[in-house]
Amino acid sequence: MTNHRLAFSKSDTAKFISHLDLMRTFQRAFLRAGIAIKHTEGFNPHAFVSLPLPLPVGFSSSCEVLDFQLVGPDALEDVPARMNAVLPAGIQVHRCYEALRPVKELAYVNYIVTLEYEAGAPFGADTAIRELLSRESLVMDKRSKKAKGGFTQVDLIPLIARASIEERRDTVALDLILQAQNPGLNPELILAAIRRELPDAAPDFATFHRRSLLDRSLQLWE
Amino acid sequence: MNRTLEHILPRVQKPARYTGGEYNAVVKDRSQVDLRVALCFPDTYEIGMSNLGIRILYGVMNEMPGVWCERVFAPWGDMEEQMRQEGIPLYGLESGDSIADFDVIGFSLGYEMAYTNVLNMLDLAGLPLRSEDRSSLSPLVIAGGTCAFNPEPLAPFVDIFSLGEGEDVTVELLELCRKAKDECWSKEELLIAAAQIPGLYVPSLYEVEYHPDGTIRSITPTHGAPAVVTKRIVQDLDKAYFPTKTIAPSTEIVHDRVMLEVFRGCIRGCRFCQAGYAYRPVRPKSPEVLIRQGIESCQNSGYQEMTLSSLSTSDYRRLLDLCDGLQEWCDPNGVSLSLPSLRADNFSWGLMERLQHGRKSGLTFAPEAGTQRLRDVINKNVTEEDILNFCRTAFSGGWSTVKLYFMLGLPTETDEDVLGIADLADKVYRVWREVTPNRSRGVKITVSTAFFVPKPHTAFQWEGQISRQEYERRVKLLRDHMRGRSTAYHWHEADTSVLEAVLARGDRRLADLLECVWRKGAKLDTWNEYFSYERWAQAMEECGIDPDFYACRVRSRDEILPWSVTSTGVSPAFLWRERERAYQGVITPDCRVQCTGCGADKLYPGGRCDAEC
Repeated sequence: MTNHRLAFSKSDTAKFISHLDLMRTFQRAFLRAGIAIKHTEGFNPHAFVSLPLPLPVGFSSSCEVLDFQLVGPDALEDVPARMNAVLPAGIQVHRCYEALRPVKELAYVNYIVTLEYEAGAPFGADTAIRELLSRESLVMDKRSKKAKGGFTQVDLIPLIARASIEERRDTVALDLILQAQNPGLNPELILAAIRRELPDAAPDFATFHRRSLLDRSLQLWE
Repeated sequence: MNRTLEHILPRVQKPARYTGGEYNAVVKDRSQVDLRVALCFPDTYEIGMSNLGIRILYGVMNEMPGVWCERVFAPWGDMEEQMRQEGIPLYGLESGDSIADFDVIGFSLGYEMAYTNVLNMLDLAGLPLRSEDRSSLSPLVIAGGTCAFNPEPLAPFVDIFSLGEGEDVTVELLELCRKAKDECWSKEELLIAAAQIPGLYVPSLYEVEYHPDGTIRSITPTHGAPAVVTKRIVQDLDKAYFPTKTIAPSTEIVHDRVMLEVFRGCIRGCRFCQAGYAYRPVRPKSPEVLIRQGIESCQNSGYQEMTLSSLSTSDYRRLLDLCDGLQEWCDPNGVSLSLPSLRADNFSWGLMERLQHGRKSGLTFAPEAGTQRLRDVINKNVTEEDILNFCRTAFSGGWSTVKLYFMLGLPTETDEDVLGIADLADKVYRVWREVTPNRSRGVKITVSTAFFVPKPHTAFQWEGQISRQEYERRVKLLRDHMRGRSTAYHWHEADTSVLEAVLARGDRRLADLLECVWRKGAKLDTWNEYFSYERWAQAMEECGIDPDFYACRVRSRDEILPWSVTSTGVSPAFLWRERERAYQGVITPDCRVQCTGCGADKLYPGGRCDAEC
């Protein structure tokens, strides 16, 4: 049986819907839209949906995907409009298609991290960050459920495929291509590294946006 | 979305509670709206969104042209800290606008321990706490809900209380507010006019005088306000608004399912039960309407669970028809149906077979007291045989989890009654051994006891609460006599029950206590993380308030009770008669067997009370 995939964006208030809550939201939205999808077997069957790459709470994204399986006669091209009519504000489905590419081919994620400075971006912050991310190695503590003490060490550098840094008046924008999975790199760790290593470049606030999903050869994965 | 808000949300727990934007949340064009309402629930989002009354009133108000009603909940401590630090006042979830600029701020009062949240929310909105310090017409602070049946502890903070069911009176009040706004009335003019609408109590129009012993000497209405304000009811629930297209929260809430209200009121006359008296008379909805509304609610929400709600669901006359009709749709659509509030004396095989369709969660039942004598005193009208039969039916049907709820400290309770609880639990265990189809699976019997709080508008409104020490002694006595590994015993801590007893029957002078304890940091008092009895004890001492005066004192029949200015439709003479029958150990039949003349049928002009037939 074919798997199906939704491409959607998550922005504004919906940024704060957590991964688990988002699964529930989609499960219910399919029911509201009257779109029949595959359910799990067992004593307490529920709509089967999968979000292969969980988005951290607070991140916006224009490239989320959700895998599921249509079981009714509904046409793929009707799905986005029907879902958008019943989804909460800030979640918008752009496309529904057959999931041809396996999730394991999803290799990199492009993030835009915007560092905001109330008093203007500090002079030389861009250069300093560029140098920081070009080091041989940059080891950070990362929360881990498995590791003893709740933390494990991770070197960020091998997980960064590309980084370009641009300074504007009140912000510094980081355009990052980071490894997606096994292990994936959360750009919050890069911010943590900036705060630790470059206290002068530490921003007052940062926003995180997931812009695109890429395969091993940095082509769009969809 | 507000930029400051966007900056603080990543720093707080469960931020989805504070954003709005859920499916079916009502967003209106500000320029098309002339009346803005903040519907406040003085507890967290997860609790407030689980409240059916909030959903009904939200729908009723937003159906009014030109009215925009938004939801407001109490922020958790981390969010409150951020809001205060960043100068974000309490805002409506739909618009993000500060509620201090709204026309009406309404609170739903379901339990006394939420009172400090009311003060905290007014303060977070940047408003003066006291009605007299808010001199302009808007925002008008109103409150309703079960606790409004003794409005006095909050009287100085709230401009208008709404008694009873809000579907109709809320609309009338908003129309009046609109008129007042259009015609530039003063706040006092509005309050005087509001007091003429049945069901609205304007506390500032009443003068209260006290005897030297602290009891009330007189309550005098002024400006033409009525001596007694009687609650409002909805006459025909089939025709009343019901929110079938209601907000689907984007984050998990406590009751995350469709709630279908099958009837209001209760035919039983449990003498301790405020809801049983205050929500009279019984008014059912027809199965046909319920089935349609249940199906629509599921389709519009995507919920896969539905629960029937009422004070005593197995008293619904056509329950089997209703269950069958719902299940005809629910089963093929993967929706499970649950029925809380069942009674032991009419739980049948037929009903159980229908329940078996869904998941077998535990069965819960409230005998309330351990011996027949005490159950007769409180008019629970359930026999030990009923309880054991109920368990026999459930156990032989494969259930293996039973929860039994009791109260300690009921009037006339003796140690024999307390030990009767342990006895009953033991008998339930023996029934299980006798009938279970699968003994190896084991059984779990949970006994829970609460500390009895005498409530206004009940037959026990004149009673004293037993002392904390005595309650704790009875808990220990019961604990020492609870047998068997299959039985677990839980009991309520005394602290909140003592405070509930103070606040439930308090007078206006308790407003100072509420303000004092709030200034000491009290908020979110229903949560262990925040509640501190120490803080309340200190505040009571500073304010010179003796909790025993309110909680433990037995009132005489001729004492003027602080809530005597409100009426549920049930007459005090009837309640006193019920109290006397309690002390005689005489039961009163339920309203279907015989009308006992409580007076609530008079709320129902033209029709007769559904309960008699």
